[in-house]
Amino acid sequence: MGITAETARYLASRLVTSIIIVFGAMLLLFTLSALVPGDPAVTLLGPQATPELAAHFIREMGLDQPLHIRLWRFFSNVLTGNLGQDVLSGRYVTGMVGAVLPSTIILTFMAIFLAVLFGVPLGCFAATHRGSFFDHVLAILSVTFIAIPSFVVAIFLLLVFAIWLDWLPVLGTSGTGSFADEAKRMILPTIALAIGWIGFIARLVRSSMLEILGENHIRTMRAYGLPERLIVYKYALKNACIPIIAILGLGIGRLLGGAVLVEIVFSRPGLGRLVYDAIAARNYPVLQGSVLVVVLLFVVTNLLVDLSYSAIDPRIRRRAEREGMPK
Amino acid sequence: MRLIPGWHGRIEMTLSPLMQIENLSVDAATERGTAHLLHHVSLDIARGRILGVVGESGSGKSTLASCLLRLLPSNVTRVEGRLIFDGVDLMTLDADAMNAYRGRRIAMIFQDPMTALNPLFTIGTHLIDVLRRRDSGIDRELALATAEAMLTTVGVPDARLRLGAYPHQLSGGMRQRVMIAMALLVEPDLLLADEPTTALDATIEAQIVQLFDELRQRFSGSIVFISHHLGLVAELCDDLCVMYGGTVVETGPVADVVADPRHPYTKALLACEIDPDGDGKLLSIRGDVPDPVNEGGQCVFAPRCGHVIAGCVSNEPPLQAIGEVRRAACIRAHEILP
Ligand SMILES: Nc1ncnc2c1ncn2[C@@H]1O[C@H](COP(=O)(O)OP(=O)(O)O)[C@@H](O)[C@H]1O
Ligand SMILES: [Mg+2]
Repeated sequence: MGITAETARYLASRLVTSIIIVFGAMLLLFTLSALVPGDPAVTLLGPQATPELAAHFIREMGLDQPLHIRLWRFFSNVLTGNLGQDVLSGRYVTGMVGAVLPSTIILTFMAIFLAVLFGVPLGCFAATHRGSFFDHVLAILSVTFIAIPSFVVAIFLLLVFAIWLDWLPVLGTSGTGSFADEAKRMILPTIALAIGWIGFIARLVRSSMLEILGENHIRTMRAYGLPERLIVYKYALKNACIPIIAILGLGIGRLLGGAVLVEIVFSRPGLGRLVYDAIAARNYPVLQGSVLVVVLLFVVTNLLVDLSYSAIDPRIRRRAEREGMPK
Repeated sequence: MRLIPGWHGRIEMTLSPLMQIENLSVDAATERGTAHLLHHVSLDIARGRILGVVGESGSGKSTLASCLLRLLPSNVTRVEGRLIFDGVDLMTLDADAMNAYRGRRIAMIFQDPMTALNPLFTIGTHLIDVLRRRDSGIDRELALATAEAMLTTVGVPDARLRLGAYPHQLSGGMRQRVMIAMALLVEPDLLLADEPTTALDATIEAQIVQLFDELRQRFSGSIVFISHHLGLVAELCDDLCVMYGGTVVETGPVADVVADPRHPYTKALLACEIDPDGDGKLLSIRGDVPDPVNEGGQCVFAPRCGHVIAGCVSNEPPLQAIGEVRRAACIRAHEILP
């Protein structure tokens, strides 16, 4: 599908919204850091810090400057890719986040991939065999796995497969960089993160599939004797995909949250560990930088979700146009 | 425009009917009990003729049409009777054998063109898949050309362009033309049209009716044209079937039935076609259509009929012959004057 003027306008409008969201998040983060009660030096360095050290720290961090100067500096830093410095080690937060980000992104996307790969066919099968034994079993399993938090699943998997059965390694990473070894170590964390989502997507596909299969256009296809496979997997599935994409877009935040916990359980380096350690050490700039990156990830994914929507559903392209997007 | 009016009729009537519906009954489960959607329906669909099926909304017309394709809602609990299509009883076929009739020998056009097409697929995709169903080896270019030609035939302008359009980009009337093109691509022996104009406004309705009228010349199959508008059916059709409360109350050649209705319900419907004070508002029949969840055992129209006698409420009136080609389900059919 080529990019028409209509699509380009829609794209531009979504881009503008995304930028506004990121700016809003930055403003919020800045305000929070400015509002931290008490002496920021004491909060960040702890009560044991000497007055000299505190004064030095305040100057270093620019905390003695008026608010508007600090705001300006924060924004211009972030826009040039500088997320600030680690209070303790002095390392740049951008570099720290950049080093661990791929690991988290790979884990999250592997989990989404697995969830879609298994969830969609399972949901389709349950919808076309409604009320069957399989449908009931899937319903029970899905609800169970949706309800159990991913870190609990992670601990359970760790116990069973890594400790009792000793089939897979305990640690989520080896640090050796060997692809085969890293891949093997990713199996358990990915399953732990994905399993609830497999169930969730299966439930979602099942219910939206059942709704779509009752619609008039499906009746038309049936009346023309088209093969059931074509009706379900070509015509109905495309309709059923729309809510799934929407949920994935919204769920990416929860999924990242889950990834953080799973990373901690498996001692995998990633955003999770970084945030966890930053909280434990009250390392505010690292926390701030990580959160900003998560917001950015969230916004980018949602942008992708919206774009794939409009690629799937021609009516959305038109709606975007009707709502008078900036031209 | 036919050169010889009624020409189809005289020759074809000597042949056996394309479809014979015998004693068809359909029940469905509802919260309130068993609904009798169709009740002992018997009807012949003659070859090469247009059969108009009329009746108020809720008379069971759509149920009858879907029953002919054996595509019934999931809460249907009982289907009885025979559906003899060209010598084969469709009721005895298994799922695959029945599916072979759909979209090959029988095609259907639905009431609401706004929802009958999948919003996420182009008109071309729909039409090509329907064509492929007939001939799986058909090459894409040929299929597109065939679809384009058929769209042009049914009066869709810029047909090539429209093949790439999505349903929401077409008006209701255009979509209904697409549905008609889809049905004709199949070259069916039987074309079922369930209120194809009801969802459209009056001028578009007239154009679609005109299109059906023109179709008679190029289409050799039979058409079942369902409508709640007797005047329209009288204009377009050869034969008439009047339905009420899930039963057939009167059948016969349309001109005869309209000139001399034998069932009080047909008469009441005819009276509704007259616009007494010319304000565009038609009369409607007093009372409501019967609830399909009922005991039976009497004439379905009795509660609204002005000619009721004791026999009307003690038994169900059978569909009895009136002359050679007409039938009416009224015990007073011979005495009621037009
Ligand atoms: N699946 C169903 N379950 C219960 N009642 C139904 C069902 N389908 C249709 N009906 C009822 O049967 C009657 C006939 O419906 P329908 O065939 O749609 O009539 P028409 O097409 O003449 O308007 C209506 O009263 C309707 O409410
Ligand atoms: Mg109807």
